[in-house]
Amino acid sequence: MSATPKRVIPRLLQMVLVIAGAYFSFILLFDVLLGQLIPKSLLTMYMVFVVAGVVMVFTFTEEGAQELAGPIKALVEDPSRKMVRNVVFVIVPLLAGYYTYSSMLPSFEAPVELRTIHPAPPNKFKAYGKSYNLATLENPYRKFEKEDPAKFKALVKEGGDVYIKNCQYCHGDKLDGKGPYASGLNPTPLNFQDVGTIAQLQESFLFWRIATGGPGLPAEAAPWISSMPVWQEFLTEDEIWKVILFLYNYTGRQPRSWSHE
Amino acid sequence: MTNFLKVVAFSLLVISGFWGFSNFGIPQIKPADPPVEEKVDLGAMTMEQFIALGKKNYDGKGTCTLCHNSLGRAPMLDKIGTVSAERLKDARYKGTAKTVEEYLMESLVKPSAFVVSGFGKAGTNDTESPMPDVTGGGIGFNEVETKAVIAYLQDSSGSEVTVEIPKMAPPTEGAAKAEEAPLTTPDAVVTKYGCGGCHKIAGQTGEMGPDLTKIGATRNKEYLRQAMLDPDAVVAKGFNAGMMPKNYGEQMKAKELEMLLNYMAGLKK
Amino acid sequence: MLTQNIRNFCGAFVLAMAAMFMLSAFAPEANASEPTAATSAAAAPATATAPAAAAAAPANPAAPAAKAVVFPPAPKLTASDYPTIPGVNSRVAIWLVAQLHLWFGAFVVAVPMFVFIIEVIGMATRDERYDNMAYEFIKVSITAYSLTAILGGLLAFCMILFYPDLFKYMALIFKGSMWAYALLFFAESAVLYMYYYGWHWLQGGNRKWVHLTLGLLLNAVGLQLMFLANAWTTFMMSPAAVDAAGVFNGDTWAAIHNFLWNPINIHRVVANVAYGGSVVGAYAAFKFLSAQKKEERAHYDWMGYNANFIAIAALLPLPFAGYYLTAEMYAYSQQMGITLMGGVFAWIFIIQAVLIGALFLSANYYLWCGMGRSEGAYRYNPRIKYIAFVLVIAFLVWFTPHTLVLTNSELKDLGGPYHKYLGVLGIMPAKNTAVNYLLVFTFLSFMFYRRANKIATVSWASAGNAAQIALFTAGLINITILGVYHGYFTNTVYKVAASVPQVLTTLVIIIISVVIDAFMYKGAKDVAPLHWGRMPPRSQYALFLLAVSFTWLMGLMGYVRSGIRQHWHISNIFRDGSPDAFTPGLGYVASVVSVGTIMFMAMVIFVFWLSTISGRHVVAKGYWKEQQA
Repeated sequence: MSATPKRVIPRLLQMVLVIAGAYFSFILLFDVLLGQLIPKSLLTMYMVFVVAGVVMVFTFTEEGAQELAGPIKALVEDPSRKMVRNVVFVIVPLLAGYYTYSSMLPSFEAPVELRTIHPAPPNKFKAYGKSYNLATLENPYRKFEKEDPAKFKALVKEGGDVYIKNCQYCHGDKLDGKGPYASGLNPTPLNFQDVGTIAQLQESFLFWRIATGGPGLPAEAAPWISSMPVWQEFLTEDEIWKVILFLYNYTGRQPRSWSHE
Repeated sequence: MTNFLKVVAFSLLVISGFWGFSNFGIPQIKPADPPVEEKVDLGAMTMEQFIALGKKNYDGKGTCTLCHNSLGRAPMLDKIGTVSAERLKDARYKGTAKTVEEYLMESLVKPSAFVVSGFGKAGTNDTESPMPDVTGGGIGFNEVETKAVIAYLQDSSGSEVTVEIPKMAPPTEGAAKAEEAPLTTPDAVVTKYGCGGCHKIAGQTGEMGPDLTKIGATRNKEYLRQAMLDPDAVVAKGFNAGMMPKNYGEQMKAKELEMLLNYMAGLKK
Repeated sequence: MLTQNIRNFCGAFVLAMAAMFMLSAFAPEANASEPTAATSAAAAPATATAPAAAAAAPANPAAPAAKAVVFPPAPKLTASDYPTIPGVNSRVAIWLVAQLHLWFGAFVVAVPMFVFIIEVIGMATRDERYDNMAYEFIKVSITAYSLTAILGGLLAFCMILFYPDLFKYMALIFKGSMWAYALLFFAESAVLYMYYYGWHWLQGGNRKWVHLTLGLLLNAVGLQLMFLANAWTTFMMSPAAVDAAGVFNGDTWAAIHNFLWNPINIHRVVANVAYGGSVVGAYAAFKFLSAQKKEERAHYDWMGYNANFIAIAALLPLPFAGYYLTAEMYAYSQQMGITLMGGVFAWIFIIQAVLIGALFLSANYYLWCGMGRSEGAYRYNPRIKYIAFVLVIAFLVWFTPHTLVLTNSELKDLGGPYHKYLGVLGIMPAKNTAVNYLLVFTFLSFMFYRRANKIATVSWASAGNAAQIALFTAGLINITILGVYHGYFTNTVYKVAASVPQVLTTLVIIIISVVIDAFMYKGAKDVAPLHWGRMPPRSQYALFLLAVSFTWLMGLMGYVRSGIRQHWHISNIFRDGSPDAFTPGLGYVASVVSVGTIMFMAMVIFVFWLSTISGRHVVAKGYWKEQQA
């Protein structure tokens, strides 16, 4: 063992400290500082990679690897450490047993439901007694953005009125998914301000989702616990297109499109 | 050899690691099964599935391909979507339909509203169609199935599908059948199973199949039974095999079949 | 001298790969001639193939009859149209056979590519070790070649046996190219055997040039074979020249040159090289572990190093080829794209992220361990931890899924399925940025490794270092800004487009650093001779991890490529009516892929074993009758 004099902490302990440090930093960062907890499933995987990375750094030199393995080897082989060995050999299986027990213990928590938030759309769908081809469907008002900005502004305003009268109760007056009724819904209404929502989608996709609502979700998006109404029963086609204009305009995002201008 | 075993063990460990992650590390989503036409769950049905349902009924239950095929017994329907729009403007059109969808619906339930030239019943100068009403007789489409077939026809002929997927689930077939009592007269049987679509019998004047008005004079009851249950076993001269549906044995009630056979065997003059 | 050449080769290779990728990214309409142009000298036989196939038809006596063939619509099949063998799941059978064929095919196509390059290096440096190594590589692939052919035959057999209607339909459309395929296969065998068996005969002077030409020809024919087979696959994904009923109305070339053909071709060529490198790396690692003599260890250490280098060099452009392929899939059909990335298959890319992470981490780890070969590497050891830190962070970003798995309490706590901060990392721009970081830092590991044993003697060494540091810093800032700006502050149209300047930045960093290094370390003095063979056994397991992960990854990606057709034999044209038309869940897929990987490994071990016994001679004393002289 050729530990340099200035190093006081054994390498094995160093490694454990680094890993534990990473673990608590994640928790500190997300749960405390940012106020948005880190999901357990994700943290587990993150830690797997962190451990892999740390082990790699600690073992890529021969000396490092030996220094790391030294205490472990000693624990197993050194006759003078009999006591410690026995303690470790009792504690480790107990820990493993406890982990297994606690993870297998039935709980009252409802099973995790994983919903596909952007289900693949059908080729065609039906609304207003017509069939729409999602691949070619376009917002008829989008063109005014360039051609006639004044008219576009008016259309957006009309869309805003539609939104305030119909949508804001759930999706919020800031379009952030925090309307007055939002807290009563699970899953909560979509936050349009998030980059992961409407900014990733084409207008035709929004039209489909708005017009057919929760009941129109394809089988893939089960369970259908969305409380989105079937808006084609309440709004006209024009109103939906206008409200889509408003959604993008207010959030400052652009609908996804596959052609570059 | 130790090295070899070590390497193999290491590799197997890596593989089982990946396998384990794929099985337990991520949520297991069961991908949706391919659209199955059997299940009529209208609420969750997409237009594609609805069209598929129509196609299934068109080929299967509706037995439409029996006549609407390349043998020229009935008009081809491959361009029906566009053709119907022209038909609506045709001077000979007698129906009340305004749109293609309505026209198709009318053609299915009141086939004589417009008869394509050359396909009418003989002697009626194309005013009467040999086609049965699909909602009655041996076909017995319900509303959903009829609409699905219209959707299929519109889709397969390359025109806009305008049919709306009906909102209500159709009454289940089994329940509907259980309530039906066997028919009591041969005429009713002939009407219900649409024999007149092809045969001349009981006042009906079909042209596709053999004339049955005097069938009892030449054929006995056992021959007729075979002809009903296994139509292609012996085919009358001048007619093709494969025309007559083979499922009357399943569709008819035993009482109805016996009654019809007795009736036909008695048609001597 | 040695590293200099590797450096040149590295630069040329990366450049060629970049050119290949860029060309098609910028000029999709030029795609037709693109892959053939990339094989430069091979262009002549290459371009001739397709027209030749078409032109050969009229010359054929059967041509008039063939011309009169009216292509039938795609059959509409039901479960009863599929022959079954009791106890055999036909889909799993054909799946495994196809995947095994692909693994071996990829290996066999890839090995001649780098064998050719290694042979060129050997010729240029007159260092015989290169020639010996190239020969050893091709020796391994020769048995694999016949296994590829056997598996290919088995695949065709399975197609005819289990999916006769599909085979009939495809064969009618591709009859021209199937002929060409058969003929090319003969050519491939002939050239390969001449190349391999003539190795020691065609040595020195002009003979070596003849041998090299054979190598080039071998690669040209091999790539053609792969491109033709790719056409059948991509036709099933993106059928061309067919109407809605599946009636084919074009010529063979139209069917071959379908929408996804070139993207797949590029992706497969690059991936094959990386894969081939990783498999021969595993071979070298195993030989290293079981070597008894010091020279033997040194040789196989060196071989493993080169194999790992090949794998990494091809791994660097691979993500971009992958993104290009995905972008083209979206362009072909948005439905296909969303099915792939957002729908059922979204989680497969999380598994993929784990596997690619394993690839990058093990490749880096091998490089770091390799620093133990030189005495001068201690200088760089403390820096490794920073590289590891960035790699892990970049990797965590890459891994973060768009849809988080949340327990109900977490869901309530977060107030919805979207995480305010992690959600940002879940989308493409973040991942593009992360992958560029991953590549730049992997390259940095490599640079440290190469510098480890050298001390620059040029006067401007410190200025050069400063320039390189500036280059890396500027490049990384550029990548970050591009990613953040385009990803979160602009029109979504540019989201995917932002990846192109990012890739260019990465390539610029790599190329300029290579150039600066080339000049800076010209005539540099070695700290001490490199100790080939001074590698811990741990590092060799990194090579095994690389090979196994790569195999598994290819199996998984093979599934997803095929699986996005869902219940169609040929997308939206020819429906799969068999009971196996359903799309399997990922757990099931993982099981099939694992079984396939194990089968492949068993076969590869057999191939490696064959290549070792061929050199052994046992003198059986007293067995043979004494011959009277």
